[in-house]
Amino acid sequence: MTAHALSMPRLVSADILKLRKNRSLAAVTALLTIGAVAITVTIMEIMHVVNPAKHGPVGGVNNLGHFASLIGLLGAAAAAIVGSRVGAGDKDAGVYRDLVVTGRSRTSLYLSRIPGGAAFLLPFVAAAYALAAVTSTALSGSLPAPDARLLAVTGLWTVLDVAFFYVLSVAVAALLGSRSYAIGVVLAFRLAITPVVASISALGIVRELMPSVAIESLVPTALGDSARMGPHIPMSTGAVAGVLVAWALVAVALAGWRDVSRDA
Amino acid sequence: MQTTSISPHVVETTGLTKRFGDRTVVRDVELRVPRGSAFGYLGPNGAGKTTLIRMLLGLTPATSGSMRLLGLPVPAERARALARVGAIVEEPRFHGHLSGRDNLRVVAAARGPEAAARIDASLERVGLAARADDRVKTYSLGMKQRLGIARCLLADPELLILDEPMNGLDPAGILEFRGFVRSFVEEGRTIVLSSHLLDEVERTCDHVAIVDGGTIVAQGSIDELRGSGHVVFVETDDRERARSVLAASSAVERVVDDGSVLAVSVLDPHVVADLNRRLVEAGVAVRRLEPQQASLEQRFLEITTRLENAA
Repeated sequence: MTAHALSMPRLVSADILKLRKNRSLAAVTALLTIGAVAITVTIMEIMHVVNPAKHGPVGGVNNLGHFASLIGLLGAAAAAIVGSRVGAGDKDAGVYRDLVVTGRSRTSLYLSRIPGGAAFLLPFVAAAYALAAVTSTALSGSLPAPDARLLAVTGLWTVLDVAFFYVLSVAVAALLGSRSYAIGVVLAFRLAITPVVASISALGIVRELMPSVAIESLVPTALGDSARMGPHIPMSTGAVAGVLVAWALVAVALAGWRDVSRDA
Repeated sequence: MQTTSISPHVVETTGLTKRFGDRTVVRDVELRVPRGSAFGYLGPNGAGKTTLIRMLLGLTPATSGSMRLLGLPVPAERARALARVGAIVEEPRFHGHLSGRDNLRVVAAARGPEAAARIDASLERVGLAARADDRVKTYSLGMKQRLGIARCLLADPELLILDEPMNGLDPAGILEFRGFVRSFVEEGRTIVLSSHLLDEVERTCDHVAIVDGGTIVAQGSIDELRGSGHVVFVETDDRERARSVLAASSAVERVVDDGSVLAVSVLDPHVVADLNRRLVEAGVAVRRLEPQQASLEQRFLEITTRLENAA
């Protein structure tokens, strides 16, 4: 094992430190993940208590799907914010050149950022989903409660959704060298371009190349359409894996090449 | 302090050139920085000083030419060479939301465990131990410069490269910075300091390269560069006659009349008595005869004026 590989955990820890000590970033990430679920649950519960005949229980399988969809949507926004900070934060702060002059390879500096940011972001997503899972089970009332397997599969699907857009955000930010542009590009891609493309049935198989379409095709069957934002476009697990891996690899490699080749 | 190589020069460049499109910013630079010196890279703004530093540090590639840092070829052995180099490029920048200590932790993570062990000592050395846990965005420019030096010290550097380090500092900050430079040289480290401030380089450095238009126009020790020229100020009743008498002497390089005093450039400062005798014998009453060693500024202006005239 090379000395650089051995020092990778230190670089990852340094990246976590940079994110953890950024109080506004932590607050926004918490609000978009745990906060969003907590606020939604609170409002739904109040409505249920006030008018149980009109508003059903907060829990149940269907609402688990809604919560998972909410976490996926706002989690993508959090992923864009955190990922862009990870991908271009050193450049924005003007310290990237100071890291390069340590002699550390630019590739290792670039690759260390991805796990560092994930270690910061994913606990928020996991906590938000844990809140959603507990609520769905404990407050299901007369509705069918999700079983352990459904909870686990939905949890993995939610984390995959957010994690994919996090990796994409890191790569786009490193490629563009700008946090604000990266946030705009990723959110436009996730919230505007993908739904439009997915809704044009004439595009046929081309729609399956969109990452969100591929991710939504993995929504657990038991959740029905509750966790889905667009039309259901069935895809095999292998095809989904191929689309997501291809997008991630191309984006990460392109950004890595740009990071290494441009002036620091 | 352990050294990486026994090369007498910590920086050596051969034919180093950098072009941006059609514009040549650094042209055929042959730089030799002696080990253990405070070396000034002196030139006006836009002379290519920062670009040269950025090439040495691997921040931008050279268009042509070769470089060695601490005896090691770069970029081929860049990682080994930079392991013992500390640098501040342009102004020192930090993560404002992190403390000074945390900013050093981030860089130490890239350098290695030895660097992490030097954090406290580095902060102590630059006088920031008491403010080390405050956020950097609350620091003054002078404190950021000191933190930049502390960041360099994490490498236990043989070579420190400082790009315009005095920019924006108040007189006390400049004095303090000069003290750091001299103390590092006394420890056997080499300092390369780029600046457009002639006076500052003359006060701080013992070797200098003068750069103009991307090209080194003179290089050597400060004494060598200014020592070949001495100036004698002559004040008389008859400047015209004095000027012709002095110009006839083989010891005199040049006579410049500034309107009230003659500035006489001589090769040997010991000819002053002979000049006085010549003037008196020619019937010129001498009111003042003041020998003065030429400053680097005078040499710089002479060199750049000569180049402008040649162009």
